[in-house]
Amino acid sequence: MTELAFSMNAPVVAHSPRAVAANATAKMSARRLNFHYDRFHAIKDVSLDIAANRVTALIGPSGCGKSTLLRTFNRIYSIYPKQVASGELLLDGENILHPKYSLNQLRSKVGMVFQKPVPFPMTIFENVAYAIRHYEKLSKAEMNVRVEQALNQAALWDEVKDKLKQSALGLSGGQQQRLCIARAVALKPDVLLLDEPTSALDPIATSRIEQLIAELAGDFTIAIVTHNMQQAARCSDFTAFMYLGELVEFGPTEKLFTQPGKKQTEDYITGRFG
Amino acid sequence: MTSIAVTHTRLVTQARRDASADRKFRTLVVLAAFIVLVSLIGVAFSMLWGGREVLSEQGLGFFFSTEWNPVENRYGALVPIFGTLVTSVIALMIAVPVSFGIAVYLTEVAPVWLRTPVGSAIELLAGIPSIIYGMWGLFVLVPMMTAYVTPWLNDHLGALPFIGELFQGPPIGIGLLTAGFVLSIMVIPFISSVMREVFLTVPVRLKESAYALGATRWEVVWNIVLPYTRSAVIGGVFLGLGRALGETMAVAYVVGNTVRFSASLLEPGTTIAALIANDFAEATDSYRSALLLLGFVLFVVTFFILAIARLMLLRLSRREGVR
Repeated sequence: MTELAFSMNAPVVAHSPRAVAANATAKMSARRLNFHYDRFHAIKDVSLDIAANRVTALIGPSGCGKSTLLRTFNRIYSIYPKQVASGELLLDGENILHPKYSLNQLRSKVGMVFQKPVPFPMTIFENVAYAIRHYEKLSKAEMNVRVEQALNQAALWDEVKDKLKQSALGLSGGQQQRLCIARAVALKPDVLLLDEPTSALDPIATSRIEQLIAELAGDFTIAIVTHNMQQAARCSDFTAFMYLGELVEFGPTEKLFTQPGKKQTEDYITGRFG
Repeated sequence: MTSIAVTHTRLVTQARRDASADRKFRTLVVLAAFIVLVSLIGVAFSMLWGGREVLSEQGLGFFFSTEWNPVENRYGALVPIFGTLVTSVIALMIAVPVSFGIAVYLTEVAPVWLRTPVGSAIELLAGIPSIIYGMWGLFVLVPMMTAYVTPWLNDHLGALPFIGELFQGPPIGIGLLTAGFVLSIMVIPFISSVMREVFLTVPVRLKESAYALGATRWEVVWNIVLPYTRSAVIGGVFLGLGRALGETMAVAYVVGNTVRFSASLLEPGTTIAALIANDFAEATDSYRSALLLLGFVLFVVTFFILAIARLMLLRLSRREGVR
């Protein structure tokens, strides 16, 4: 209960005081976060807040650490040896980097979608049900409802409702990616991490996903990594610009793109480097 | 004007010479490839031809009779066929789970610096001559079977209903079970190296997305990696099976070489390959014909097993190509 109260009332501590609008609270907060791949220092002392029920975009040139930062949010890096995060990463005020923090719990609260659509080698229905079954024992009828709900949320239900028993590998790339989103939202997570979710998709499928991100923002806290600045401008509320492992600038998307505070940010968004 | 004409003729001759060289080269490599096919078919046919005497005398009864009596010229293939299948099945029952464990360890669990050396060590096992396995089996494994395994099996499993009969027998150490053990060690490198290779083809993001849903390592392997590579894994198992069916020397050492039917795995028996190797020197006339026919049976069975293995392995690479 106290944790809940904390998350509801916690003031947002941002890099700059204007970074987050007054009515948004922080769902996740990085505090002096560092990340190492063996000896390589990939993220350097980054502190930022991911606002609840908003879309936060992470942008920057290749190798700037934006994907790495996203991958710390659900500790997916921990399946690899020699990848280490230090500092604090708070989810509802609790440090998820603490070794006692349950990975299982973390991954039910923080869902992730990857660059390439990666449906599991199962039927469409099973792809979604597999995730749910992991956490909840549901009757067949309840499961049907949950799967339909998740597919609806991912705006995929109408296209697949007649072929739920077919292999997910038969879907188009865009449909597969929406299936991956359905799989992630089926767990009813608080946070959705999207790692360049449209980089493997054509423009039409991309705009479909962007539209979906806007729809999902009401129910979820979303962090999206993108190399596409128009995409960040179009579908995020806040944008963080990273360069060489450091957070250069963080603020409301509109402001960052129209009146960037730093020279580096301006150079990047105007295409002078990156 | 003339110089152009001269150059032109020279080019034409050159082109003609190139084309003819190309044709000769083509014929040469086609011939090389055909030699393999011709010898394959030749081997199969000559064995069948050699076995025609017994086949015409005993007909299909050859395959269903347990009698093996060279003195009376009556031959039945059931005992060696049974022995071949049973030893191979025992080998797979042990080798498949162990190989799976090795492959999972090497692809998912082991620290990176350990993966390559252990992987190569296992592949080196495949290169050890089978006579070594045979000697080891006879001089090391057989005494151990006699002292520990056979008495234990007699006491604990021998009294069970239905399967008890399989485990009743004298503590002599040699027999179908021992042969199965030796074979399992011999096929593990084949199966585990195929499994390891195909497990490595599973896209990293596919595994990560399962981890991201909260799956454990075991769940990722069992629910994602294995279904994704299913056909290739079956292919690898069949590759091992093909090997186990045809293995001769190591089996001949420990199987007992007795052509007598027995339900017990602890009794001595024989396999097709071991029987041929043991008896060929003394075989004449119809005895020889029976062994050749037996060889033909083994040839056909292993040929199809290996063909299925290839097909299954091909399936994964085809799907890989599509992606």
